[in-house]
Amino acid sequence: MAAEFVSTGSRRRGFWLMLPSLLWMLGLLIIPLGLVLVVSFGRRDTDGNVIYTFTLDNYLRLIGFSRTYPCGSTPPPCFDPLYLTILWRSIVLGLQTTLLTILIGYPLAYFIARAPASRRNVYLFLVLVPLWTNFVIRLYAWIIILRTQGVLNTVLGWLAGLVNLPFQPLEMLYTPGAVLLGMVYEFLPFMILPIYTSLEKINPSLYEAAADLGANTWRTLWRVIIPLSMPGIVAGTILVFVPVMGTFIVSDILGGRQVILVGNLIQRQFLDARDPAFGSAASIILMVLTLAITLYYTRRFGFGEEITSA
Amino acid sequence: MARFRIGLLLALALLLAGCAGGGSGQPAEGPIRTASGFVCPAPQPRMEVTSRELNLFVWTEYIPEEMIECFQRVYGIRVNRDEYSANEEMYAKLRAGGANYDLVMPTDYFVGLMVRQGMLQRLDKSKLVALSYFDPNYLNLSFDPGNEYTVPYQAGTDAIIVNTDKVKEPVTAFADLWRPEFARRIVSVDDSRTVIGITLLTLGYDINTKDPAQLEEARVKLAQLIPNIKVFDSDSPKTALIGGDVDLGIVWTGEAALAHQENPAFEYIYPVEGPILWQDNWAIPVNAPHPDAAYAWLNYTLQPDLFWLTLRDFPYNNPHKAALEWARTNQPELYETYMGSPITNIPPEVLKRGHRVEDVGEATPLYDRIWTEVKGQ
Repeated sequence: MAAEFVSTGSRRRGFWLMLPSLLWMLGLLIIPLGLVLVVSFGRRDTDGNVIYTFTLDNYLRLIGFSRTYPCGSTPPPCFDPLYLTILWRSIVLGLQTTLLTILIGYPLAYFIARAPASRRNVYLFLVLVPLWTNFVIRLYAWIIILRTQGVLNTVLGWLAGLVNLPFQPLEMLYTPGAVLLGMVYEFLPFMILPIYTSLEKINPSLYEAAADLGANTWRTLWRVIIPLSMPGIVAGTILVFVPVMGTFIVSDILGGRQVILVGNLIQRQFLDARDPAFGSAASIILMVLTLAITLYYTRRFGFGEEITSA
Repeated sequence: MARFRIGLLLALALLLAGCAGGGSGQPAEGPIRTASGFVCPAPQPRMEVTSRELNLFVWTEYIPEEMIECFQRVYGIRVNRDEYSANEEMYAKLRAGGANYDLVMPTDYFVGLMVRQGMLQRLDKSKLVALSYFDPNYLNLSFDPGNEYTVPYQAGTDAIIVNTDKVKEPVTAFADLWRPEFARRIVSVDDSRTVIGITLLTLGYDINTKDPAQLEEARVKLAQLIPNIKVFDSDSPKTALIGGDVDLGIVWTGEAALAHQENPAFEYIYPVEGPILWQDNWAIPVNAPHPDAAYAWLNYTLQPDLFWLTLRDFPYNNPHKAALEWARTNQPELYETYMGSPITNIPPEVLKRGHRVEDVGEATPLYDRIWTEVKGQ
């Protein structure tokens, strides 16, 4: 009797405690998402207002079947791979960024996790420091570094002069490579932190046990440490891949606005193209695609519980 | 994105200016001065205003600070300013609702669209003395016959800028930008209508065509220009030019004038196809909360003895005849600079062969598709 009473009471209390976040989710996530979904089935009028109707044209256009607009020189209806290409490019960039952040972030996280406890906080602090400066301002710093007469080319030119080599300034800014660099730079901390958290949890005696059983360093890493830190890698992957897919500011600033990703495509529909219905459909597709990829990934490698602990 | 930083700096400057003049420090007698010492002219006429605030939504780097400060001090009205760097951005924000601006600054081809959408108030001419100050060439234009909705602010062109230190071959036409030796040497405004418009001009078509076949031809031709363009930038294309990242540009008047001031090797060239002409205009949104303050702002800031500041701070093509006259007597050096430069004082024959961008309505997605495709190639 008494136990039951307590449990209903705490359940009710739980509800009231959750209410603010439920309302938050409802007002700022569910309702806006619903609106985006509704708009995505509409179409634009001449001046770019949304006509609310039910048509799948926007989705069809995204996956290549254009019923209203010509595809190059072919009049509609026609096949137009343009938007699929952009989606594909974004996915590839998302995967490249994720892979590079793992390759760079993992050794760093390992180094921090194995450092003496007194120094770990200093290292973690250093990882976090860049995040205190605004995202956009840090990207502008990269312009100064990468431009034709920028810091990097100046230093390289000076080094080349030292050994009497001819030097032609490198073309680095406003290239797809610069966009990839910017993405890796921006999202690296989000990979390091969850990997660090899961590495730090590994009991050091496991390293010793592996050594006792005759495993060399590589084998220990491959068979013991990496499997045990998998939750961190999964969490980091989600934290990096998902935002990279939607980011448009990096390609705007470092790509010279020549690299068009899904994020740029969506942004343009709400501004220059004045086609919010098409933009909404692209947002929904992006969301579904990202969810599908992360869902597959987490099913395959286990769920990233490190998100919450990081 | 540069505008964020600029906006922040301006906000800081305004704040400092406000601190300097705030409190009981302001003497009641004597002329009203700004923090920089500029003597604010008296308003003629002084209007009856009950509002205590004015919300501006304007282009970045376009309104002299002293203009704003003088208005604030003379009328005791607080000016809140938000900024944009594309018409589309302004339009989207107003369209989304919730914005309560008293004055906006649409460029010509957006005026018609906003009027059609019922977003602008019809101006009460009895409250406006300012219209008589303007050169009639800038009034009564096709986008707003009879100036029912708008008052001009400044105008300009989109044309070619060339660093003559680096580019020795003469450049005389938009078509020259396609030359293979200009590979990755061009900065361009990030504006689909301008760049596709230029391409249409080189093909001999109308800049506002809605013909899918002509647009398709333009798409193919534009795709050949893209390898020459290193960066698209509508915030500050002069930066890439001055920094030496590029040697040529498709830019607008103000950027060209400032780049030329920085380094005279930068020459602004009106192409044989004719430049693109544009004009920015003041307009009052229908739901403006302080229209009385908006009229006071228009009449006061468009006074010749205050509007001349635009000649000094933002060298564009100035439609304000009275302000130019005022500068001729009171700021002769500034006047000479303005009149002597073909960048600001556009030669009449260039104006004659200029083109105006108009809203293309249902063809907008065609333009957008071309833009998305050629940039993403």
